[in-house]
Amino acid sequence: MNSERTIMEGQAILLKKPASQTLWRRIVRHKSIYLLASLSFIYFIIFKYVPIWNAQIAFRDFQALEGVTGSPWIGFKNFSDFVNSYYFWELIRNTVFYSLGKMLFSVPAAVFLAVALYECRVFWLRKTVQTMAYLPHFLSWVIMYAILLAILSPSNGILNDLIKAFGGEPISFMTDTKAFPWIVILSDTWKETGWSAIIFLAALMGIDPCLFEAAAVEGASAWQRVRYITLPAIKPVIVVVVLLRLGTVLDAGFNQIFMLYSLPVYSVADIIDTWIYRQGILEFRFGLATAVGLFKGVFGLLLLVGSNKLIKRYTGSGLY
Amino acid sequence: MTSTIRLTRSDRAFHFFIDAALVLILALLVVPIWSTLTLSFRPNDFIGSALDGMFLAPWKWSTAAYRALLGHRSFLSAAGNSFRIFFEGVITALFFTVPLAYTLSIKTLPGRKLLYGIVLVPYLFSPGLVPNYLLVTKLGLTNTLAAVFLPGAVSVYNTLIMKSFFEELPEELKESARIDGASELTILLRIILPLSKPILLTIGLYYGVHFWNDFFNAMLYINDAKLQPLPILLRNILLSSGMNEYVEANAFGEAPIYAIKAASVFLAAIPMLVAYPFIQKYFVKGTMLGSIKG
Repeated sequence: MNSERTIMEGQAILLKKPASQTLWRRIVRHKSIYLLASLSFIYFIIFKYVPIWNAQIAFRDFQALEGVTGSPWIGFKNFSDFVNSYYFWELIRNTVFYSLGKMLFSVPAAVFLAVALYECRVFWLRKTVQTMAYLPHFLSWVIMYAILLAILSPSNGILNDLIKAFGGEPISFMTDTKAFPWIVILSDTWKETGWSAIIFLAALMGIDPCLFEAAAVEGASAWQRVRYITLPAIKPVIVVVVLLRLGTVLDAGFNQIFMLYSLPVYSVADIIDTWIYRQGILEFRFGLATAVGLFKGVFGLLLLVGSNKLIKRYTGSGLY
Repeated sequence: MTSTIRLTRSDRAFHFFIDAALVLILALLVVPIWSTLTLSFRPNDFIGSALDGMFLAPWKWSTAAYRALLGHRSFLSAAGNSFRIFFEGVITALFFTVPLAYTLSIKTLPGRKLLYGIVLVPYLFSPGLVPNYLLVTKLGLTNTLAAVFLPGAVSVYNTLIMKSFFEELPEELKESARIDGASELTILLRIILPLSKPILLTIGLYYGVHFWNDFFNAMLYINDAKLQPLPILLRNILLSSGMNEYVEANAFGEAPIYAIKAASVFLAAIPMLVAYPFIQKYFVKGTMLGSIKG
């Protein structure tokens, strides 16, 4: 029994050795690749992993002089301060509201635009709309703010000039709590719809032309074609886009809100990220702001992993 | 789909509806930009409504706002900083992104899964603003242009797009080079990169636009007025109500402040607007690649 076991173990070692040797050989063969990648990974460790390490100050009473590791531990105090504060629900509500609101407007708009571009036979119209619709995606929110001012400003915006022309009083839209959410959602729709339409257009290009020929032979009208061929063809893409956006629902668009909001509209404009910026950077409450960031990061992780699972189940391949 | 088929009345109605909708969309896209543009050409003594001002009649427009901005020292230095951030940023970003994407694309590489995991974790989990802020200030990057582009020099999303491009390249190319005795570095530099010009251009431009537009990092880390990039200057101009250092009576006196505001964004957007028609197809190609992968 004993000798038999030794023999078997010996065999196992003998069988294993060549395998480890080839692994070693493969590693040696790729040594220049590792060397090549090492700088990128050093970058990754410094700029992506050190911040994760720094995030421990969420559990500390951070003192700038003591540094990250020198400040005293205080457990979950920062988290409980946040969850029990009156602004907690307001921030969650605003963040989710803007994310979902933007999705509700821009996804149907993008689907409509993609289908219209796909069906349009007038070449110049199609090309011009495409070019103009993609363009705003590349404008920063600083520039978008100037464009919004040109439309909404009480003193010389065109919308207010129209109101004045009809004898009304000019409205200060940007500081109006009722108008502000609409400005955020509609300006985002204006800026991003064209760009989000690309993914639907790509799906439309993949439709087998035979389907349309068959539909024409059967006497289907153009409306029926859209209803029974085009829309069903992009349905999976719509599902994926919606799931992806649900995965990032806590990112409500910091740059936009930060550029557009002001004190009078904080109650309807403040999202998690703008609040973190004000508390952390302007008020120096590093621990609290980090705790909120970590809170967002953990829920963001769960949402992303969850949405990726659903996408995988639905389409067979996920995001990563 | 074929034009030989005679259009029925309902089909004609369909196409009329589609074309009308696109014309309306075009108007919605153009009018805000056009009204901002005409605003930037308003002279100081303009009388009339904005609707009136949207028609650029020759007797009621002036380039005073543009002349004032271009003659202003802070505007020129901000533009210079922005160009430096653009070029230095794109080069740095590609320097880190290309090897990373290439490494992850080699299917036979031992430890590839582990490396992929290292890249993926920060993509899925972000520790937030303050931990990053502590890092950048600790590294002594405050008041350097690198603070604007270095923290975002590797985007995991862009890396994954590039990786899937590299994976599409035929394996035989690399194999035959290996048989000829080429090192892995030679393969990347001599074979892979020349074939990857479109993706390098696309990803480089993604990074470039991002750095050009960034105002947040600049706001966090740059206090020195001489190092301000354009978006920060624009933001200061836009948020100023008239009694501000940017609206010194002598420098900007000839144009109304709202014209200065509108003109400043057009000047900042000009490089993009000029380049955009030529690079549009690369941008679109990049998203398509991303979407196929996703």
